[in-house]
Amino acid sequence: MSSNTQVVNVAHLTKHYKSFAAIDDVSFSINKGEVVGFVGLNGAGKSTTINIMLGFLHGTNGSVTIFDQMVTPQTAHKTHQKIGFASGDMTLFSNLTGKQYFKFIAGRFGVHDNSRLKQLSDLFMPDVDKKIGDLSRGNKQKIALIAAFMTSPELVILDEPSSGLDPLMQQNFIDLIREETTKGTTIFMSSHYLTEVIDVCSRVVLIREGKIVKDIPASELVTDGGKKVRLVSKNIVAPPRTAELIEKKEIEDGYELLFVYKAKPTQLQQWLSGVVGLIDVSITDHDLKAAFDDLYELETGEHA
Amino acid sequence: MHNLFLKTLYDKRSFIIGWVMGMAFIGYLMTIFFPAFHQDNGLDQLVKSLPPAFQGLVGSLDNLKHLSTYLGSQLFDIRIPIFLSVLTILLAVGLSVSEEDKGQLRTLIALPLSRTRILLIKWIVIVFICLLATLATIAGIELGLLTIHETLDIMVLVHLGGMMWLLAIALATTIFGIGMATGKRGLTTGVGVVITVGSFLVTTFAPSVDWLKDYEKLSFLHYFPAPDIAKGTIDPINVIVYSVITITVLIIAILSFRRRDVR
Repeated sequence: MSSNTQVVNVAHLTKHYKSFAAIDDVSFSINKGEVVGFVGLNGAGKSTTINIMLGFLHGTNGSVTIFDQMVTPQTAHKTHQKIGFASGDMTLFSNLTGKQYFKFIAGRFGVHDNSRLKQLSDLFMPDVDKKIGDLSRGNKQKIALIAAFMTSPELVILDEPSSGLDPLMQQNFIDLIREETTKGTTIFMSSHYLTEVIDVCSRVVLIREGKIVKDIPASELVTDGGKKVRLVSKNIVAPPRTAELIEKKEIEDGYELLFVYKAKPTQLQQWLSGVVGLIDVSITDHDLKAAFDDLYELETGEHA
Repeated sequence: MHNLFLKTLYDKRSFIIGWVMGMAFIGYLMTIFFPAFHQDNGLDQLVKSLPPAFQGLVGSLDNLKHLSTYLGSQLFDIRIPIFLSVLTILLAVGLSVSEEDKGQLRTLIALPLSRTRILLIKWIVIVFICLLATLATIAGIELGLLTIHETLDIMVLVHLGGMMWLLAIALATTIFGIGMATGKRGLTTGVGVVITVGSFLVTTFAPSVDWLKDYEKLSFLHYFPAPDIAKGTIDPINVIVYSVITITVLIIAILSFRRRDVR
C-alpha cells in the first residue's frame, strides 16, 4: 500500500473519559477511492472516532492522519477543504434557509460553479426556501447531505447519514454514493443499516465496545450476516441442513419456521422449491445486532 | 451571506434590532426627563432624606443640575450598566455555549475555518453589536435633545459612548471568553451574572459601605466613572484596564478553545 494512495490513517487511537475508554487502540486506514462502512452498535465508538477524525475531539493516545496531515483540534481545519461531512443528527444553522445555507457553504469552500448543487438538489428535492429550523428532520438531512457533496470533496465522512431519510431518498442516497465511487471519491460512513453498507461499501470495519473487531470486504459481511427466513407451511418442514434454527411452532393455519441461512442464495432457492404445502415465505437481512453477534462470536473464536 | 461575520450578524438580526431600539429608547427617555429633574427642587429634599446607602442608587444631586452630568450620572452611571449586563450576558452566552449546546459550533468547525478564526470572528461580531448598542443610545439622546430643545457638546457623548463601548466589550469578552474556553453553560452564565451584578452592587454601595471600598477596584464599573467623564475627564488608566482585560481574556480563550473538545 503506497502512502500516496492512503487518504486516512488512524493509528492506535484511544479516547478516555476519565477511566472509561470510548475507543481503545483503534487502527485502520482508507485508500483513495475506497468506500468503507464503519459499523457497530450504539455506543460502540463510531461517532467518537469520527469526531476525532474531524478535530471535534482530541484523542488521548494515537494519531489520525488525513491527506498526510496529522489531525488535532488545532490542525483539523487544514484538511477540511477536501472533506465533506454530514451526520444524521447534524445541527445546521436554523435561522438560514436552505438556499442561504448552500450559499454560505459555497462561500466558505470557494465553490463558484452551481452545477453540482443543482444536480444534488434535483436528486434530493429539499425545501430550500423555508428556514432550516422549520424543516422536518428528513429535509434537514437532505440539506446536510447536499452540503457535504456540493463542494466535490475528495473525502466524504458520513455519520449515520441516511437515518432521517424516507425509503425513496435512502435509495437516492445509495445511488449518489455509487456515482461518487465512479468518480474516485473516498467515502467513510458509519451506518446502522446493514443493507446500505453492503450495497455501497467495498470494505466494512466493525467496532465493538471501542475496539475494532473486524476489517473485512463487505461481501464477507453478507455471508456472515446471512438471511433471516420466515416460512409458513401446511406441513411440518425441517430447516435446511446449513441453517440455524431460531424457532419452529404450530400456528392457526399450519406451521411457522424461522431460521438464519448463511449459505449461497441459490441453494436456499432450491430448498424452497422443494417445500411441500408452502403458504408464505419472507426473507430479510439477518438483523444487525444478530449479524454482529455472529461476527463477534467468530472473532472471539478466532482469538481463542 | 458568504462569510461567517455576515452570517452571524444575520443570525442575530432580531437581537440587534431589539437592543438597538431598546437602548435608543432608554437614551431618549432619560434625556427628555432632564427638565423634570432639573426644575424639581423637591427632589433635593427627597434625596437628602434617603439613607446614605440608597443615595448611591440615585446619584449626586449636583450632577442633576447640568445636562451633561445628569446624563453621566442618571443614564450612563446607573441605568446603562444594568442594561449592558443583560445585553452582554445574552450576547456572549448566545454566541459561545448556546451555539455549542445546539451543535452549531461543530458544524462550523467542520468547515475549513480554524478555531482561532471562528473565535475571533464571533468576537468581532460582539464588538460590532456593542458598538451598535452604544450608537443607538447616543442617537436616542440626540433625539431627546431635539425634543427638549437642548444642546450638548458632541464630545461629551463621544467620551461617554466610547467608554461605554469599552466597558461593554470588556464585560462581553470576559463572559464570551469563559464560554469558548470551557464550553460550560452553567459556569459561563454564573460567572457572567456574578461579574455584572457584583460589579454593579460593589460600585453602587462602596461609597456607603466601608468594607466594600477594599474591593471597589475589582468592579468593572469602577473604571467607568460616567459623571467624571461627562465633565470631560477621561483617565487613560481606565482605558488601559478595559483594554488589558479584553486582550488577556481573548488570548486565554483562544489558547483554550484551540485545544479543547467540542461536544
